[in-house]
Amino acid sequence: MNDARSDFAIETQRLSRFYGDRYALRDLTLAVPRGGVHALVGRNGAGKTTLLRVLLGFVGPSGGTSRVLGEDSATLSAEVRGRIAYGTEEHALPGWMTVASLRALHARTYPRWDEGAYGEVARRFHLPDARRVSHLSNGQRAGLALALALAQSPDILLLDDPTLGLDPVARQTFVETLLFVGKRDETTVIYSSHDLDEVERVADDVIILVDGGLAAFAPPDQIHARISAWILDDLPEGCAIPGLLQARNIEGQTQIVVLDQGADFGSRLEALGARGLTPWPLGFDRAINAFLSGYGTRRDS
Amino acid sequence: MIQVVTGDPRPIFKQIVDGIRLRIASGEMPPGTRLPSVRALAMQITVNVNTVAKAYLELTADGLIESRKGVGLFVCEPRQRRSDSERQRLLDEAVAHFVSDVIPLGFEPGEIVDRLKRDLEPLTNRIAKEPGK
Repeated sequence: MNDARSDFAIETQRLSRFYGDRYALRDLTLAVPRGGVHALVGRNGAGKTTLLRVLLGFVGPSGGTSRVLGEDSATLSAEVRGRIAYGTEEHALPGWMTVASLRALHARTYPRWDEGAYGEVARRFHLPDARRVSHLSNGQRAGLALALALAQSPDILLLDDPTLGLDPVARQTFVETLLFVGKRDETTVIYSSHDLDEVERVADDVIILVDGGLAAFAPPDQIHARISAWILDDLPEGCAIPGLLQARNIEGQTQIVVLDQGADFGSRLEALGARGLTPWPLGFDRAINAFLSGYGTRRDS
Repeated sequence: MIQVVTGDPRPIFKQIVDGIRLRIASGEMPPGTRLPSVRALAMQITVNVNTVAKAYLELTADGLIESRKGVGLFVCEPRQRRSDSERQRLLDEAVAHFVSDVIPLGFEPGEIVDRLKRDLEPLTNRIAKEPGK
């Protein structure tokens, strides 16, 4: 598959990355089709940042392969590299430059520069042209990074925890920009986030990483539908609950969260001796939290 | 105005479906009402446009709204909304749900029917005044 017009924005095969004897990614196989907003979700250390860094060619794989727009990410051509935009949580922009001079520099650098998209994002974040980057607020700096990235008209936009540390207003503006500015059909957005409420609103698909491997890749409502929760009074000692993600005691009752159990789960559990079983539907946020805490067991090497 | 909240056990597209369904049922959105475009509603409630598109698709499949080419989406006339078999199925479901809720309350069946009649009475009068369905 050396075709530069690959149907996939990103394709990894058994991708691994070790730091010393610790792995950050392990046997990650993932194919992200072109277009759409994909949220990268996982606990700290699950491999989100490492995955983005491998895709950008900042670090090479220890094993397996990683392709971006059909090219090996370790040896990206200048042409393909120019079609990828990247934003980090640090919003690393040169502090001594003014907003206007940074915009001008980017406009000269990127052949597909979209002045309209830049202007729209700049307006939304109230970016003052004459101000030095070092004097911008956190929200404005994030807005500037996003404006510069979107105006490149990238085929792929990679964002590492872009709303971290932003106040609610800047966060809302960021999300609206991500959803509604630029040529939404043509750009594949992959962004990592810990804000699951935001992910539910924004993402076409959620990519869940657990321990450096792929745990789920599906639209938010589909992942949500795999997870159900119940309250029960009494559970026999040593009873193994199928698909258990999380169990906790609340005032003498037990709340359990389970994965991939059908509609007959209640009757099956009652057959095992459980009493007082009541469904306890969870929102997306809490369901995914339970998934992250309970999916798989730590695979120590 | 449709509202979605995160933390709700229903997925966002389902909250949109339920919100519009409720407004149609309550008469707040009478037949012929034009719905906001997919993009406009997505922007109003800050969600992904595909989520709104999915909700509109379900409402269309249920016969509650219809698309008029090049014009937009509109609330349908009530009689177009469902087939007779679909209406029968939904009635059976609703009754089964109701019955399972009231059994544990320990009323006599006659008492339950009388209570139900009281709520259906205004409806009977209204239908009598508007011949048709």
